[in-house]
This record gives sequence, C-alpha cells and structure tokens, in this order.
Amino acid sequence: MSEMTKKMQEIAREILVKGEAEVVIGWEKGTFWYLSPPAFIDKPEDVQRLVWDDFCHNNLSKYLVDLKNHEGKAAVFVKGCDSRAFNRLLQDKQIAREKVVLIGIPCPGLLDQDKAKELGKNSDLPKAQKCLDCQYPNPLVYDYYLGDKEALNEVAATKEAADYSDVAAIEAMSPDERYDFWTKQYDRCIRCYACRNVCPACSCRECVFDQTRVGWIGKANNSSENQFFALTRAMHVAGRCIECGECERACPMDIPIMLLNKKLVKDINELFGEYDAGIDIEGKLPLGHFDKNDPEEFM
Amino acid sequence: MMKTILKAKLPEMLEQLAKEYKVLVPAKLEGVSRFAAYRENLELALDENVTMPPKDIFFPQTEEMYKFAAKDQSLEIEEIPQDEKLQVIFGVRSCDMKSIDCLDQVFLTKGFSDPFYQDKRDRSILIALSCVKPMESCFCTSMGIDPQKGQGADIQAYDLGEKLAFEGITERGQEVLNKVSGMFAEEDAAIPPMGEFNLTANVEGVPEKLKNMFDHSIWDDISRKCLNCSACAYVCPTCHCFDIASEVRGEDGVKIRCWDCCMFDEYTVMAGGHQPRPGKKERVRNRFLHKLRYFPERYNMLLCTGCGRCVVKCPVNLDITNVIKKIKEA
Repeated sequence: MSEMTKKMQEIAREILVKGEAEVVIGWEKGTFWYLSPPAFIDKPEDVQRLVWDDFCHNNLSKYLVDLKNHEGKAAVFVKGCDSRAFNRLLQDKQIAREKVVLIGIPCPGLLDQDKAKELGKNSDLPKAQKCLDCQYPNPLVYDYYLGDKEALNEVAATKEAADYSDVAAIEAMSPDERYDFWTKQYDRCIRCYACRNVCPACSCRECVFDQTRVGWIGKANNSSENQFFALTRAMHVAGRCIECGECERACPMDIPIMLLNKKLVKDINELFGEYDAGIDIEGKLPLGHFDKNDPEEFM
Repeated sequence: MMKTILKAKLPEMLEQLAKEYKVLVPAKLEGVSRFAAYRENLELALDENVTMPPKDIFFPQTEEMYKFAAKDQSLEIEEIPQDEKLQVIFGVRSCDMKSIDCLDQVFLTKGFSDPFYQDKRDRSILIALSCVKPMESCFCTSMGIDPQKGQGADIQAYDLGEKLAFEGITERGQEVLNKVSGMFAEEDAAIPPMGEFNLTANVEGVPEKLKNMFDHSIWDDISRKCLNCSACAYVCPTCHCFDIASEVRGEDGVKIRCWDCCMFDEYTVMAGGHQPRPGKKERVRNRFLHKLRYFPERYNMLLCTGCGRCVVKCPVNLDITNVIKKIKEA
C-alpha cells in the first residue's frame, strides 16, 4: 500500500468517525489494474477500499452536483483538476462551500489507461495527454492536504506554458479540411452523452440536449445533429471547462473532444485576456460579465 | 475434414463474395472497430472482438420508417424502399451471435414481428467466428455461451492461427461456401483450445433471487457512481430500447426510430411530467433487473452475453460482473 493511500484511509476514517462528513468520495480499485473508479465510503470500516494510484482519473467534484439538494456534508478528495472544478462550481453557485470537506492530493500526473491496457503491467507507461497538458497539478482549494507540499511546488514549477500546438494544427487547416476532420470525428459519435455526464462543468438542471420536445436537437444520429451536439456542448462549457480531460477519456468512440475545448480556452485567452477557469474564485468570469472594451467585431 | 483458407487469402475470398452479396466484416474504421461493408484495403479487425456490436446491422441507431406528407385534409404515406440484397456478415463472435438470438426474441416472437428488423434479419447470412484467446473483459462462458460455437450461425468459422476453417451449418450457409469452394483446401484441422478467462460471473439463481430484491438497499450502493450516460447501453449487443419520433419540415415529415436508453430522463417521463424513475437508483436498478430478471422471465434467457463491452467502456467502471457478485452476496 502506498504512503498516500494510507494517508487517504486515515483521514477518511477520521472524518467519518468525527462526523465531519457523512460520506467520503474517493477512488478504489476497479475490474482491471489500470482502473481506479470513484468510491463512496459511508462507514469507517470501509475506508480500506480507498486507493491512490496512477489511475485515479475521475473528477470527483462532478458528484457534488448530485448532492446539491442533500442535507449533510460530503468529503471529497481533490487533485488539481478536481479542485478547479470545485471552484468553478462554487462560482456558479452549484455547491455550498460549507457542505463540503475538501481533501487535497498533490497529483504527479496520471497514466494513460488505453496504453496500460495495450502494453500491460510492468511496462513503461506514458502519462495521459490531459495530464501532460495540465498546468495545475496541485489542489487550489482544500481543508486538509495530504502529501509533501514542497516537493509538489517543484513539480508545479517545472510545468511549461500551455501548449496549443495541437489546436494550431487544426486552425492551420483550410475550412474544408477542418470540416472534413470534424465530420469524420463526430460521425462516429453515438450520442451516449458520457462526455456531458462525466463533465464537472455540465451542471445544468435540465440539459438542452434532453429537451427533445422543444426540438433544439433531433433524436436522429447523423452528421448534422451530431455536429450540433458537438459544437453546442463545447460552446456551453467554454469559460467553465477546467481541462480535466474527462470528456475525452470517457468517450467510448475516442473522439478528440479536448481539441474543441482547448480551442475555446485559447480563443478566450486571445479575446478576453489570459484566463484559467477555476483558479481565482474572486476574479471576473470572461463570459460572465460585460466589459465596454470587449471585442465586438460581429456587431 | 474441414474447408480451410490462409488468413492472408481472406480478402480475396471476401472480394469474391462481395460480387454476389453485400458483405459486412469486422473492420477498423475512423478510429473505431465495427462491422463495415467490405471493400478493398479495408483494415480487418480479427484479433479482438469489435467495439461496436453487430446490433446496428439489424437495428440501426437511426432508422427511417416511413415518410409522410400532410396537405390540406389529406395524408400521404410513402414507404421507404428496403435494400433487397442478401448480406453476408462475416466474423460474428459467439457472444454477439447470442445477442442476435436475444434481439430475435424481442423483435420476432410473442406474436409480434417487427418488419424493419425482420427484413434485415431475413436477408442476413451469418458467419460466426470462434475465439481462441478471450479478451481480459470477456466472460461469455459465465453466461452459458460456447466461445467456439456461435448459436444460430449459417456458417461456423474457426480461427486456426495462420488459417481459418469453415463449416457450413445451414443450407444458405452451404450455398455461400459453394460460391468460393475453389479457394479452400480440404484437411483435418484441430481447433485450438480456448484460453483462460480473466473475468467470471456466477449467475446461478440470480433471476430468482432478484424477484425479491426490488426494494433492496443494494441499488443505492451500486448506482451511486453511475453517471446516467448511455455508453453501456449503446455498446451493448443486446440493449434494444428505442424511441419513435417525427421529423417534420413544413408539410413533409419522416418517422424515425432511434436507440434510447433507460438511463435518460426522457425515457420514462410521462404525459403530465411525472417521472417514475427520477434518479440514478431507479434507472440503474431497471437496467440490471431488465438484463437479469425481466428478460429471463419473459424469454427464458439472460439479456447479457458476457461480451464485456460495458465493462470496458463505462467511464466509472460500473461492472456487471461485480453487480452480479453483489446480488449473490446480498
């Protein structure tokens, strides 16, 4: 058992015994060695299920949306990305701060599950792309903090500036090439909505894609409806996407969804100034306030 | 004696068949493995089962049922012509062969015959392909399936490593083999033994036990991490729920039927807005009760073939073998 897993279990036990929270949300081992899905722990005797390893991918802040109308408190383990998601939900008033106990975990970057499956145990596995792109491996908000802060500040300090070369490659395409590229990607979308449902930025009480009677989107699976879904989803999480990459990991059809999200992050940076969602909860939201100097070339 | 062919010569054989039939094969296409119409240079996917099951060949995700036009007081209905060509579907694994049996039960028995499904089913000649090495997510034997014998196949193909062997089962299957008989060698071939399974599930007594478990606390526990997406249902070879909708533009419209999933809000919401399955617990419970209790009650078979697709694709690893284990232990 790793040192961090031991610490997780200890703090979870303490929180449950003291009654600081009714449930602790963490990760546990799944069906295969490279899966560490979410775990809900209610009883101190169950804390030994909790684990911290290279595959704790799920962004647990998503589950706090489920607990919005619940009485009582929940404790949740947060990596850097989970904490950004938490902050962003807080800004949207989706969660009450006092109802959540946050346990911060410094994240060294997780490993690529698909590669793990392909290459097997004991092989040299690459980090997940979303983790290579991550600028904030350390939790930004927490009530408890597990691990060595100094060591992780070093990790954070070595982070290079955000890399948008993948987005630039798409931007460099001609409109026809680009249309062709995205048509191919989204023609295989099965509209299972795993990307939406796993996303901590998707917190609408009623999603536009579920209002089928209104007719925003048809039920048919075809290029037109799928692209409408793709674009609307991406635009709707713009300014709220904290780049945890869960949408892309969850996609059963391996659609490069983060390319769309990153394009919007890049656009927001260029149009409204540098902005990373879920970092500064006091700061103004680029798409959530009006500024006379905002660009309006389209008007 | 079996009819054998080198795997390297398989494209040639498929090419030959494609002159006569529509030929569907497991292929890697735009990043996903699925059944696709055979064409030259198509990348075949024969090492592992395909990500998308053959379900959509018979029951497409979106199917146009008929067109209509409403002018003044009159209504015109226009049927949509169906493809009439026979289709040969090559490389269906035993789990997916069983799933076609499940779909047949729903769409063709108990006094109902779904014309859209029946048409495609009647035009299909199925070539099952035996497995040699299970994927780590496979558990078909736990579901009573023989991974080397596809139930309901017209032709059974066996994976011999370098070669494939073919055995005609039905008359229609034999006819297909006759078209390419010149390509085969006749030889005694030993079918390699099946490898060890990594995943198992013990379903004995589960449908009966579930009769008294509707209100069991197990569903709270199982459903908590579920995201209520439909990744499991849409990659499932047996999930068959659908919704019928109209797409209307001006005076013209088309009736379509599309896959639906019991995880979605709209699936159960009723006229007036009442939602009998409001949350994760009710929806997840319905999913597993349907697979493990209601379907066995109605059709005397489980609605799970152990293909393991949902185990692989669920974003939160809600694993049906684990659910079965929890039911047994409850």
